[in-house]
Amino acid sequence: MKTSAARRIAGPALGVVVFVAVIGVWQLWAGAADSFVVPTASEVARRAWEVWPTSDFLSEVGQSMKRYAAGFAIAAAIGIALGLLVGASHAARRTLDPFLECLRAVPAIAIVPAAILILGLGDASRIAVIAFGLCFPILVNTAEGVRGIPLEVRDTASMLHVGRVERASRIYFPAALPSIMAGLRIAVSLGLVLVIVSEFVGERNGIGYYLILKQSEFDYPALYAGILFLGLLGYVLNRLFLLVEHRVLAWHYRAAGE
Amino acid sequence: MPSLAARSDREGRSLLSRPQKATDAMLTSAHLYPAEGRAIVRTMKRVNVPGWLFVVTVTLLVETGVRAFDYEQKIATPSSTLRALYGALADGTLSGEIGFTLHAYLEGLALAILIGVTAGLLIGSSRTLLDASSVVIEFLRPIPAVALIPLAILFFGPFGIAAHRFVVVFAAVWPILINTIYGVRGGDRMLQDVARTAGVGRVGRLFHVTLPAALPSIATGIRVSATIALVVCVTAEFRTGAGGIGNYMEDQQFANKLPELYGAILLVSLLALAFNAGLRIVQRRTLFWSGEERSAR
Repeated sequence: MKTSAARRIAGPALGVVVFVAVIGVWQLWAGAADSFVVPTASEVARRAWEVWPTSDFLSEVGQSMKRYAAGFAIAAAIGIALGLLVGASHAARRTLDPFLECLRAVPAIAIVPAAILILGLGDASRIAVIAFGLCFPILVNTAEGVRGIPLEVRDTASMLHVGRVERASRIYFPAALPSIMAGLRIAVSLGLVLVIVSEFVGERNGIGYYLILKQSEFDYPALYAGILFLGLLGYVLNRLFLLVEHRVLAWHYRAAGE
Repeated sequence: MPSLAARSDREGRSLLSRPQKATDAMLTSAHLYPAEGRAIVRTMKRVNVPGWLFVVTVTLLVETGVRAFDYEQKIATPSSTLRALYGALADGTLSGEIGFTLHAYLEGLALAILIGVTAGLLIGSSRTLLDASSVVIEFLRPIPAVALIPLAILFFGPFGIAAHRFVVVFAAVWPILINTIYGVRGGDRMLQDVARTAGVGRVGRLFHVTLPAALPSIATGIRVSATIALVVCVTAEFRTGAGGIGNYMEDQQFANKLPELYGAILLVSLLALAFNAGLRIVQRRTLFWSGEERSAR
């Protein structure tokens, strides 16, 4: 049995070794198969190195990220506001629950054609699709967070005649923040999916469109490079969000004894 | 949850800190309801009259609003949507598409369960395997499944079911895998020790101790995956020309047949609701012994 200190170094090292081995197998297998559908790892890396720094590619990414940010902001505003309402008020919860459940079941791709008809082919319809899809995890987590607030806290607030707005902003919101952040974290990853989905039709720009373009051009290494970029982007966004979350929730972790 | 994340971060374990265990909160607002009742009377009481009245009111408002402002070129009225959906279902236009979608969806989901649970059990019960697989999993998991659709088309061609199945498997496998790992690692160590002391072998422990303990967590992972997989499946069909409800939707969009398009949207949503409800019932019936269900008594 290894000690935990040895484990702490050996564990991640083993992970990296296996990862490198998998890449090596890919390289050898693709080289041996010599199929143009499966480029070798080195070919993809080379193409990624060529493609990623180009202004063409970066402007597609920029277009996508702009809509991602806008959709995320709208979803956060609506999701948190509705979540606070649904979480705090029993009447609102009963009234809105079936309606929200029905809306929630609608897949984002199904919204795309309708959004294009109503909002046109440009940014607005895509942002709407992203915001629609991201709204629900934030809403549900916010409502859950508010519902988890101890009854004594709510009762104390109502006994002290704390007003509705102040109660929502100074008691419910901070108390539900850990749960809200969990919802936002789901939205960070889901947002990338929705960005791509929203770009499958409509105007010709964005990273999702780039993938389709490369598919139709039979530029396989570039297609792989684009997918790789999305994976890395998802990873980085997630990490960044975790950093923010630890900052924002520092008080919570301290209180939880961590 | 946050405390777990913080703790695992301190240990420098990244695999378990970031991939979140799927929870019901990600899926339904099941927690908004009171604990599961026993009698039909309670079910009847739980029918949410104001909630459904609200749904009906909104529907009627949309109907009259669209008619009044002559917006029917952009938004199909609920009545014409229902009529179009009923028509397409009745004359069989949609049955082939539904069959196509369900075929790719169910096969993909089944494969994902097989892969996710098997790999999750192995990885979860061995620290070495967990370490070994962590970087590969972290690398693959953030790749959005929908980004693989163009790749899948290249690999399997645009007109088969294989491309859809591949994308569905990729999308559905992660929640199941992560939840299985969580379920296995969250199991009671005491039970393992008792079983070992009693002379139960490795395989016996896996099937009689580890797997049952992880089942509730696995079930939740499967339900999350089932929803994601259906969405991804329809999205893939949107891009390919093989068939399926997504393909039908794209056709209606190009033909500018709004009621048919909205009808298909409604159909997909109903399917998603039905699958989720069905899986919930299965989970409740088969996992009645698990902590959550027991504490409800």
